[in-house]
Amino acid sequence: MVVLNNLEEILVKLEEEELNSDDGSVNPETYCQMLAIYLYQNELCLAKFLWQRIPANVKMACSDLRKIWSVGKKMWTRDWEEVHIALNVEWNANVREIMQALKGKVQERVLKLVGDAYASLDLVTLSKMIGMSLDKTKEVAEQRGWNLVGNTVKPTKAVPKSNASTTETIAEEQLHKLTQFVSFLEN
Amino acid sequence: MSSSLEQIVMSTRSLSSTGDFKELTALLPKHIEILTRNHQHLDNVLETLDLGHHSIGMLAVMYVKMNLFANSNNSTLEQFKLLLPQLQEFIHCCNKEQVLFAWETFADLCHLITNQLIDFGIPITGIKLMMKAIRKLQTRDTHLTAVHADLCKLCLASKCLKPALKYLEKDISQIDTGEDAKQFLLYFYYGGMIYTALKKYEKALYCFEVCTMTPAQAISHIMVEAYKKFMLVSPILIGKVQFLPNYTCNLVKRHVKRLCAPYVELSNVYCTNNCDEMKRIIRKYEESLIRDKNLGLANQVLNSLYKKNIQRLTNTFLTLSLTDVAARVKLSNIAEAEKYILNMIEDAEIFAVINQTDGMVVFLDDPEKYNSPRMLAKLEKEMEECVELGKKVLQMEEEVITAPTYIRKVCGGNEQEEQALANSPAQNATTTQVQGKQNTYTM
Repeated sequence: MVVLNNLEEILVKLEEEELNSDDGSVNPETYCQMLAIYLYQNELCLAKFLWQRIPANVKMACSDLRKIWSVGKKMWTRDWEEVHIALNVEWNANVREIMQALKGKVQERVLKLVGDAYASLDLVTLSKMIGMSLDKTKEVAEQRGWNLVGNTVKPTKAVPKSNASTTETIAEEQLHKLTQFVSFLEN
Repeated sequence: MSSSLEQIVMSTRSLSSTGDFKELTALLPKHIEILTRNHQHLDNVLETLDLGHHSIGMLAVMYVKMNLFANSNNSTLEQFKLLLPQLQEFIHCCNKEQVLFAWETFADLCHLITNQLIDFGIPITGIKLMMKAIRKLQTRDTHLTAVHADLCKLCLASKCLKPALKYLEKDISQIDTGEDAKQFLLYFYYGGMIYTALKKYEKALYCFEVCTMTPAQAISHIMVEAYKKFMLVSPILIGKVQFLPNYTCNLVKRHVKRLCAPYVELSNVYCTNNCDEMKRIIRKYEESLIRDKNLGLANQVLNSLYKKNIQRLTNTFLTLSLTDVAARVKLSNIAEAEKYILNMIEDAEIFAVINQTDGMVVFLDDPEKYNSPRMLAKLEKEMEECVELGKKVLQMEEEVITAPTYIRKVCGGNEQEEQALANSPAQNATTTQVQGKQNTYTM
């Protein structure tokens, strides 16, 4: 996962490349990567405007670009079933890693949402929403400790992890900040 | 080269070498006029000047070149591409201290370049250039220059919005007070548009508000357009049309509503929470909304009304079937209702649980108990910002109080008194400071 660790760095470089270009357009590979990274970061607005400013002839020539954007379009409407369908294609090497990571991220996001929003839902619906086979969905649901009654899943809310480490380090800093506030108010 | 041009070169050189940039700037309008008359020799003049030493002189030549180009009828993209490197070199390498004296002409040059870039359909190539230009004019990074609006305009025109955010996020503490407020208004108007496009409605609303409530003696068209967008963004963000703050000048308060009647009607209908009526009114004013390029935004207002109506249900009901939700909010079917609720849960706009087996929705309370370290960190951050702001206000107050012009005004211009006072501005400042603080306590 070399690419994913410094995604932000890569993105900055790509954006610079676009701004420094002579006529404002760059090669299709750069556009593909930028679009994929925006989607991964869930910056849908930025992705949308990027798509709008890519010259029409580049869009026509590069099928990868169109495929990535079809994922973005579905993410925009939050049509999860369609997102997974759009994601299940063969990607070019330069975006493969990002798009696969995006898939994982979307699944995680949907699972969290389902945990928050549903008291019960149909197993088939769930499997479509996370784009997995029925058996795999069952497995994932069981991993999360969700009850399965027949074909109905009963999700439970994920308990937010309490960050123990932050509470420890906080004390001294806190005191310092409090002193600052008080001294400001008094002076 | 004619003698008048030689004279320009001579005075530019001599005034630059003695460091008399103020004088040179005062001569600029005259220089520009003469240069425009002798435009065929511009390149010769350019050769006699040195970019580092005679930046103001160069600025005059560049401005004339650009102005002539912009005003000629048969200018082509190819010609512009020949001119652009020269302009880029000038903006990149000119002497910051010198151009600061002539910032107005410098900014005018930037406006001309911006408009040409947009006319030729290559706005994105100018973004870097304007960022550089801003750095040349800025004395600190919270300084709003007259070029900021150009950068925002280019970003909007090229649909590449991210570069502008870095500048928009800065809290401004200094502005250039030129002869008209157009650039100031435009900056906030464009800024609001950029934030709206990125769905950062809170900041967008702030920008539109600043634009509308800027003190004015006459209403600018920019303010009217900003107020229109203000009235559309406001319902999306807070579910009603926010009032303009009290300190908005009366003139604006009195007239602005009359100038955007359809929008006032739109917001009135929004308050009735009736989606069908809202649809009707949007259709009724479709033409003017399209003309104002606000139709998309108006449709988002409609969408937010559906969400608001779902939110209102949570006030009355603890549980409700999806069919009832769809019927009460006037959505077409259960699936749509479920979709709306699901998306709202994800955005933490409502707290609810859907039960697909029996088709019921249980509405919950906001789980935020305000006792988490995250909330504490947020509170601390906001308090810190307030403290910063308080310090800044005190500092500005002190600057005003110790300014000679202020003291002269307060003391009626008496020479002797002035002398006496000049020795004790610090004392003066502290007493007012104490007063200021007492005020805050009583508040």
